[in-house]
Amino acid sequence: MFGTISNIVAAFLTLCIFSFLYKDNPFYKFAESLLVGVSMGYAIPLVYENAFIPYVYRPIFLQNKFLIIIPTLMGVLYIFRFSKNLSWLSRYPIVFGMAIVGMFVPMSLNARVLVQMRSTMLPLDNINTILIFIGVVTILMYFFFSKEHKGTYGKISNVGIWYMMVGFGASFGYTVMARISLLIGRIQFLLGECLGLIK
Amino acid sequence: MSNNKNIFWDRMQNLDRRYIYIVVALAIIIPLLIPFNSKTYITEPVENLYKKVDSFTEREDRAILMCFMHDASTMPELFPMEVSILRHCFERNIKVFTICFLPTAAPLIDYAINTAKEVGGFDVQSGVDYCNFGYKPYALFLPILLGMGEDIAEAVETDSEGRKVENLEIMKNLKNYNELNLVIDFSASASVQTWITYARVKFGANIGAGITAVMAAENYPFLQTGQLVGMLGGLKGAAEYEKLVDVFASNNVVFSKEIVKETWIPITDKNIPYQFKTARIGMNAQSVAHIMIIVFIILGNIGYFVSRKSKNKELG
Repeated sequence: MFGTISNIVAAFLTLCIFSFLYKDNPFYKFAESLLVGVSMGYAIPLVYENAFIPYVYRPIFLQNKFLIIIPTLMGVLYIFRFSKNLSWLSRYPIVFGMAIVGMFVPMSLNARVLVQMRSTMLPLDNINTILIFIGVVTILMYFFFSKEHKGTYGKISNVGIWYMMVGFGASFGYTVMARISLLIGRIQFLLGECLGLIK
Repeated sequence: MSNNKNIFWDRMQNLDRRYIYIVVALAIIIPLLIPFNSKTYITEPVENLYKKVDSFTEREDRAILMCFMHDASTMPELFPMEVSILRHCFERNIKVFTICFLPTAAPLIDYAINTAKEVGGFDVQSGVDYCNFGYKPYALFLPILLGMGEDIAEAVETDSEGRKVENLEIMKNLKNYNELNLVIDFSASASVQTWITYARVKFGANIGAGITAVMAAENYPFLQTGQLVGMLGGLKGAAEYEKLVDVFASNNVVFSKEIVKETWIPITDKNIPYQFKTARIGMNAQSVAHIMIIVFIILGNIGYFVSRKSKNKELG
């Protein structure tokens, strides 16, 4: 019974959202607002239960770990974002958050730069490594703006543009695939779980 | 005649987009209602991830962690992957942990575990064969990620049922990333790169990705450099993994490229439950929709060039 009701509600809200394809309408707006409200309503008690109780209430009030009060107060300063005069106080917890960046830099440099560079410096003994080598060099040349892009230099940097276009095309193709997949998911729900037409 | 042709192409150029929506909708609905047996080819990133998961078969000192970093909006792509990998683990007695850092992902973990367990009819027990760490606040993502490199039970004190992780039977022989040797991140964001940056670089953990197609292109460089052991990209990746589980794990057969090439599983086969072939059925519709889109692009371009040619003629 519960399954049937939840399917009917979900199907109705799905159709409300799809109605936007025809034009903007109150059903769409209702479903959109409901999503935001329900998500927040769902998140607040979950965060309270899984963050506030185990990491603030329990340590301070039950285990007497009073040092926790300092980071808690630091976190509370975020609320001052909403005050015009005291919003500067919210910058202090942000400063501590930014400290994470310090840890991120060396590790990120390794994962995103050094390892990537190493794999572009392989022996040019097959077509893939040759293509990667040409791509890296020509794109780097395209992004070198201290020299005017004309003549031979311009032609080489144009190759870099072609490489980037292929990259953007692949990215866009994947995006189209993703959007269609989402539509398929909803239609599978409507035809399968709601109407039982897919087995 | 030539004038009629121009009118046709002009109309095509100014076609109301709602007609296109109808055609795309039909291109998806018809293949879903009348499924056909299209082939699913296995790509290397999916094969590598499958083999990595499979290498943990029946090992007491190895486990995988599945991180659900998405909400219901990307379920069509990611949920079939999660169900397939859970099913793989349950079939092959692989210890599996689940965790999420988004409130809206918490019910998806339960849904995925229950789907794999109930539809597959597996006799697996929470805390023994699998463990759901449940929802942890996003602020603890990094502390938990780094903490698990030292001691899992200390980083994640309790599971979703409130039990002390250190007391669970599944934790026997498991201490840190040396044992929890494979992390698979399911996301529609760049969170997999956080796992690579910290868990891989600092602790040498193996990272796999189950990501939406939108994110796939961005993650290929990590795959190429070996920082990702494997990747499932979008619905296609999910369909491939579903097939691998059907061919090998569910028949208790070790992976072999020859068997993959020779085996063809019709998705109209009624013995395979619908929940275990959702992605493959979806890929039928995906293929038809892609053909439709390609046709629209070709027609649009022809229309553009014909209109431009006739305009140039008019101008003299």
